[in-house]
Amino acid sequence: MLNLNRRDFFKLIGAGSIGTGAGFLLGESMKNPVELLIPYLIPPEDIVPGVATWYNTVCNQCGAGCGVMVKVMEGRAKKIEGNPAHPVNQGKLCPLGQAGLQVLYNPDRLRNPLKRTGERGSGKFQEIPWEEALTTLADRVGGLSGPGASDRVHLLSGRAGGHLDELFSRFMDQLGSRSYLQYEFAHPHNLYLANKLLFDEERLPYYDIKNTQYLLSFGADYLTSWLSPVHHGLSYGHMRQGRPGRRGKFVQVEPRLSLTGANADEWVPAKPGTEGLLALGIAHLMVRNGHYEGDDQDKWSRALDEYTPERVSRQTGVDAQRLASIAEEFARSRPSLAIGGGTAANHTNGVSNLVAFNSLNYLAGNLQKPGGILFNPPSDSPSLLSASPHKSQAPYARLLALMERLSKTKDSLLLLHHCNPLFNLPDTVEIKAAFQNAGMIVSLTNFMDESTMMADLVLPTHSYLESWGDDVPEPGVGFPVAAISQPVVAPLYDTRAAGDILLLLADKIGGDVRNALPWSNMEAYLKSAWKRIYVEKGAVIESSTFESFWKAVLQAGVWGETGSKDAPGVRISGKHLLSQLAYEAPRFAGDQEAYPYILHPFVSQAFHDGRGANLPWMQELPDPTTSVVYGSWVELNPRTAMHLGIREGDLLWVESPTGKIKVPAYLYPAIMPGVVAMPIGQGHSAYGQYAKGRGANPIQILAPLTDVKSGALAWAATRVRITKTGERVEILKTDGTPRELGRNITGKRITMIPIDASPGELASNRVTGPNKG
Amino acid sequence: MSISVLPALDASKKAVGIFVVGLIAFVIGYWVNRNYFSDATPVQPIEFSHRIHAGENQIPCMYCHLYARSSRVAGVPSVHKCINCHKVIATGRAEINKLFNYWNEKKPIPWIKVHDLPDFVYFSHKRHVRGGVQCQTCHGPVEEMNRVTRLASLQMGWCLECHRAKKVENGRDCWTCHK
Repeated sequence: MLNLNRRDFFKLIGAGSIGTGAGFLLGESMKNPVELLIPYLIPPEDIVPGVATWYNTVCNQCGAGCGVMVKVMEGRAKKIEGNPAHPVNQGKLCPLGQAGLQVLYNPDRLRNPLKRTGERGSGKFQEIPWEEALTTLADRVGGLSGPGASDRVHLLSGRAGGHLDELFSRFMDQLGSRSYLQYEFAHPHNLYLANKLLFDEERLPYYDIKNTQYLLSFGADYLTSWLSPVHHGLSYGHMRQGRPGRRGKFVQVEPRLSLTGANADEWVPAKPGTEGLLALGIAHLMVRNGHYEGDDQDKWSRALDEYTPERVSRQTGVDAQRLASIAEEFARSRPSLAIGGGTAANHTNGVSNLVAFNSLNYLAGNLQKPGGILFNPPSDSPSLLSASPHKSQAPYARLLALMERLSKTKDSLLLLHHCNPLFNLPDTVEIKAAFQNAGMIVSLTNFMDESTMMADLVLPTHSYLESWGDDVPEPGVGFPVAAISQPVVAPLYDTRAAGDILLLLADKIGGDVRNALPWSNMEAYLKSAWKRIYVEKGAVIESSTFESFWKAVLQAGVWGETGSKDAPGVRISGKHLLSQLAYEAPRFAGDQEAYPYILHPFVSQAFHDGRGANLPWMQELPDPTTSVVYGSWVELNPRTAMHLGIREGDLLWVESPTGKIKVPAYLYPAIMPGVVAMPIGQGHSAYGQYAKGRGANPIQILAPLTDVKSGALAWAATRVRITKTGERVEILKTDGTPRELGRNITGKRITMIPIDASPGELASNRVTGPNKG
Repeated sequence: MSISVLPALDASKKAVGIFVVGLIAFVIGYWVNRNYFSDATPVQPIEFSHRIHAGENQIPCMYCHLYARSSRVAGVPSVHKCINCHKVIATGRAEINKLFNYWNEKKPIPWIKVHDLPDFVYFSHKRHVRGGVQCQTCHGPVEEMNRVTRLASLQMGWCLECHRAKKVENGRDCWTCHK
């Protein structure tokens, strides 16, 4: 090695330097990345770094109005939990509520006002400053206001509760337009109307599931989506397990077994749309067997005469014996409760069905009784009452009228607020035309959804965690309750609260509009409204000044006037029930020959009416009955599937008389053979990276049939046909096989042990395995 | 016919030699990095001296790191806090001028973390301070340092050593620190 030549020398030098370099770099790579420690310039007094502050506010993910507490550290929201002090959810929260953080931090949030630059619907927008956006809009709105503005200026909002609703009304009144509506796909229009017809009360009563002994639910998926699922979940738990020695019985009537149905003691699949008839059949038996002893017994007997068990059994497909046992149990159990929702309330005879369900409650004496239906007392404070969220909600028929006016009037203006009609309405010609022909569309929203894509001007709003607002939960809890939602974090982006935008517009329009809406921002408006409540309810409020009252409500997250009260406005008489009782047969769109299956869309727990589809947590949340994630599916009975030669994962065309969608098959044994079911919520063509282009939207192919009484969209009244596309996909789901494979998981051979069994009985009723059985 | 293997052997010997030189150089390179370019003593944006503040002037640790008793993190003093004193004390010095530059531009000082734990470790100053652990136990004699240097490894073994010695309740439970 000593006789080193020049070439070897360089090789050694090279090896030495490369080695040193590599060693140095290894040392470098093992270091932790440089982390900075950024101090506050001036420390905020209420923040201790590393210590969380919990702020109470109201969840806005669905209409139930649960109270939430948000964990905030260093000004960032980190976790959402239920507010234990709120009577609706009592500290509990559903997954959609938990995912509110992903609304706040969603990367697809709109951050600047946008102006359309390309063709309408092309999705080409340009960022503009707020000043320009508001001036443009104020000029336009100001120019269109005045006599006849109802035809020109329209405000269509998603659910806006409390005083935001009132602000919207005031604003539109000032412009001279009466065209302010709210639209929500899952809003229970028919339930409101049924209550109006029967009890003269256009509010939701309190269904006391908690204290009932026998719950008969017609299609109400109350554990996942119906009205106030978190509250119902609590009540359900109490009904089943909260009373030692007393376990309420629960029977669910629905064509497809939902999560709620899976919890029932008995699942009764009745032919879709005939649920009301089934109820009348039960009523018939109750009266005939002498379980009803009111003065109007004869009238009831006559009215129910035609609903004989034979007829009902034939038309509903429910066994006569089962009918008799349900009638007997329902009548004998005290208290019992019949509720209705979901598809049972959304056929063309939805209202009529709901009337029939309520007749059961009347006959069994469940009205205004614990464990039955309790009517919420009207608040004696006009300010609180005015915050009822239903009055602005529009059924489908009224919405169509708005669309027509929008389409036919020159220079019309549509203001959208957190509303996505292009996703949540059937894909009909009128709606498309209205969006094409509208003079100007302005969308106030968080995300670029399907309807906002068509807008000319997009005004990004604060998320609900950054906004002021208030809410009166509906259905109520038996006593007056209202809650304030407060911003829990400072706005992340250059957005404005919807209320603030309206007040800024009023200021810019000037004149009477400004004088009528003089508040500087939503917070000021809200405070003035709550000052009225403070004055009106002064007698029961303990706080000595308004400021201390306001602070106390913010701190608690809710204000309620506890103590049971009567509901004097309610009229409980059999006369009205009898006059509305006649059963109407459901109508379906599509001929039975050409479209042999009834489409059963259902509101899913994760996406609600589709608004949750842009939240990754909701996408990866397995559906509670099928365990499918990240997509859509259509549920077929295995017998139907066998008949059509379909296996799980076959891509199918689901075709209605008005449209068709492509969706993979999922074989579900707990669905009637003549029914196919699809979850609502997927199938977005916009709405951000997590929602777009995933699954299919069943609302799109719904026929525009409406309930004959309420005009609400009859979203369960569409027939479809199923054809194979020839393609196959793998359905993503977290469970393996639907079969037990001999593991005795469902306990088919387990002997049921009575709850009040003695230890001796317990010992004798031993669990038997499959081999011993 | 005979084939000589010697030239090949000679070539492989050379290759081994080059490899060995490379290896030794590699170790040296690594050692130099660890000892002379360590990240235990980062250069801070302002040459703040703990020796002057905590040592000579006897300012208690928690005068500036005021959350150590009440929060997981000890907290760095806000720029406002520095300015409060330095409006009158030691004005005009180069490093103090730097401080005022930050203040005038309304920018926080981007201090570099000396003691940093990964996100999967839950550590609470509050627990340790209230449990009577001296700051110096983990941070070393900061009051003697001009530029703060990390003496402890902050590795799990190092934590457990102390937890064991002090017989900390649940101190060896995984969930105590990894939760």
